Amino acid sequence: FILMLSLTLGTMITITSNHWVTAWAGLEINTLAVIPLISKSHHPRAIEAATKYFLTQATASALMLFSSMTNAWSSGQWDITQLTNPPSCLLLTAAIAIKLGLTPFHFWFPEVLQGSSLTTALLLSTAMKFPPTTILLLTSHSLNPTLLSTMAIMSIALGGWMGLNQTQTRKILAFSSISHLGWMTIIITYNPKLTLLTFYLYSLMTTSIFLSMNSTNTLKLSTLMTSWTKAPMLNTTLMLTLLSLAGLPPLTGFLPKWLIIQELTKQEMTTTATTISMLSLLGLFFYLRLTYCSTITLPPNSSNKMKQWSIKKPVNTLTPTL
Amino acid sequence: MALAATLLHNAYFCGRCCRHKALQPLLGPLLSDSLSKSYSSYRRPGSQPEKKTTWQNVDLSFKKSIEVLKTQLGMLKKETEDHLAGPEGQSLTHYMLEQTRVVWEFRSQEDLNKWVISSDVEIGGKSEVYLKLGRNNQTALLYGTLNTEVPRDGETKYSGYCSMRAKPLVGSFARKKYYDWSNFNSLYLRVRGDGRPWMVNIYTDPYFSHQKDDLYNYFMFTRGGPYWEEIKIPFSKFFLSSRGRVQDDQHPIWLDKISTVGFTIGDKVNGPFQLEIDFIGLLNDRAHTEEFAYETYEKNPPL
Repeated sequence: FILMLSLTLGTMITITSNHWVTAWAGLEINTLAVIPLISKSHHPRAIEAATKYFLTQATASALMLFSSMTNAWSSGQWDITQLTNPPSCLLLTAAIAIKLGLTPFHFWFPEVLQGSSLTTALLLSTAMKFPPTTILLLTSHSLNPTLLSTMAIMSIALGGWMGLNQTQTRKILAFSSISHLGWMTIIITYNPKLTLLTFYLYSLMTTSIFLSMNSTNTLKLSTLMTSWTKAPMLNTTLMLTLLSLAGLPPLTGFLPKWLIIQELTKQEMTTTATTISMLSLLGLFFYLRLTYCSTITLPPNSSNKMKQWSIKKPVNTLTPTL
Repeated sequence: MALAATLLHNAYFCGRCCRHKALQPLLGPLLSDSLSKSYSSYRRPGSQPEKKTTWQNVDLSFKKSIEVLKTQLGMLKKETEDHLAGPEGQSLTHYMLEQTRVVWEFRSQEDLNKWVISSDVEIGGKSEVYLKLGRNNQTALLYGTLNTEVPRDGETKYSGYCSMRAKPLVGSFARKKYYDWSNFNSLYLRVRGDGRPWMVNIYTDPYFSHQKDDLYNYFMFTRGGPYWEEIKIPFSKFFLSSRGRVQDDQHPIWLDKISTVGFTIGDKVNGPFQLEIDFIGLLNDRAHTEEFAYETYEKNPPL
């Protein structure tokens, strides 16, 4: 319970800060609070995930502190919104990219999600993304748009490509997270409100997916295939949510993509818009495959995992229908 | 038997640092071999003296490097095609429906080259072990003599073990590749032994080095008869040990990142041994519902 409290505290400190040191302190509190959550199960993989998470986040925090210090050195003030020194901007972009898991700093993300339990993975991909996104939003006017767009396009490409033949559900969701982060960062210098919208909708959809997977304890694709026997209603809504994540109209997930493409076209970046839509096709492929596995086909055999038969928490069927 | 397991792994892992000496002639000089002297300079009596240092082995000819580059790029292309095809290089429907898979079978010399044999000769013992193809090239025969005479170096207490271990998968540009066996829940072995008990070890290569001695073991008891045995070992029965010591904190093996599988004999009985293996495969036993065989209750319940 105290870990959850620390997480909330850290997030609140970062969001409400306008001094670099408080932002950094909030991020550090978040990192430290989530490490015991990841390694709670004492499995070697969980510990490996916790070590990787700690190393990457510590590096990112150090880089962030360094960028704020160079900025303070050159401009004499510690205000987050007044990031004037160009090297500081670059360093900060790199630091936030590491924290969020943007390409080319995404390598830790699938492994860390795979090593943690489903609930912790949920926290890692939604709540822990919130403070760094806030910092990006506050400094978005001074960041280099080319760099951000490049990283975003690479994230969308890589998230789609690497997610193609994963069999572990947590890794699939990790790659979907990377790809959605790409969508969020591509629009941040032009219209930060769209980033926020994408983030909220993405968190909502991912939360419902993770919670549905938690109730049926699906850690791998084969378990997902047999979940139709356990909770058929949940299965249908899971399919809808997955397709929503993929960004298919008329589901909610299409809205941020549409608005982002519209905004990019307004900014005369039509090639970028086309590229990212094409690349998200890759993601669509594996989401479709997940839904194919889970709902559209009915595998002839049922899973023999005893855990699946006990529903751990009340199934949330309402959120996916949003 | 657990004691035998403990002691043989104790000695086995002390000698594991010399593993790369067996691998070196079999891998190319330009690939891998990043394990340079990870042990002290004291050379155990069984290991060969270092004739050539690692850097002397490097071949700087241009033609050969172009050949190597071509092979690696070919492997990379194949990996990309496999990635596009589906999980593990097969299509998704294949993955969804498969219930059995043969991972290693022994039909030719190159199948044998995927395995490495070792014995307590690494620590100065006197056991012998050989691996050859069986009759009609249909099986692999692991045979030899176990000798429990302790090497006289003042610090070893037990000796007498022989083992055979699969080489880890290597992808393009010498990257590590893993097996993904998450679709299955038992190991299926078609063997013909001589009545001696063997230990099956599964190694899931961890990322960080402090876990590199973690091994999941279970026993394989063979009958001596002329008939083939099909031994099914569910993965839920494998227990965790590190450097030969069974760990207190047990958990079921995670099947999504398996590196190698090995067989070890170390039952403290002097004499010859033989194990003939037809194939090693995987099975998704639908009737097996056990998640984990040991200590599934909560060990530190909250008060």
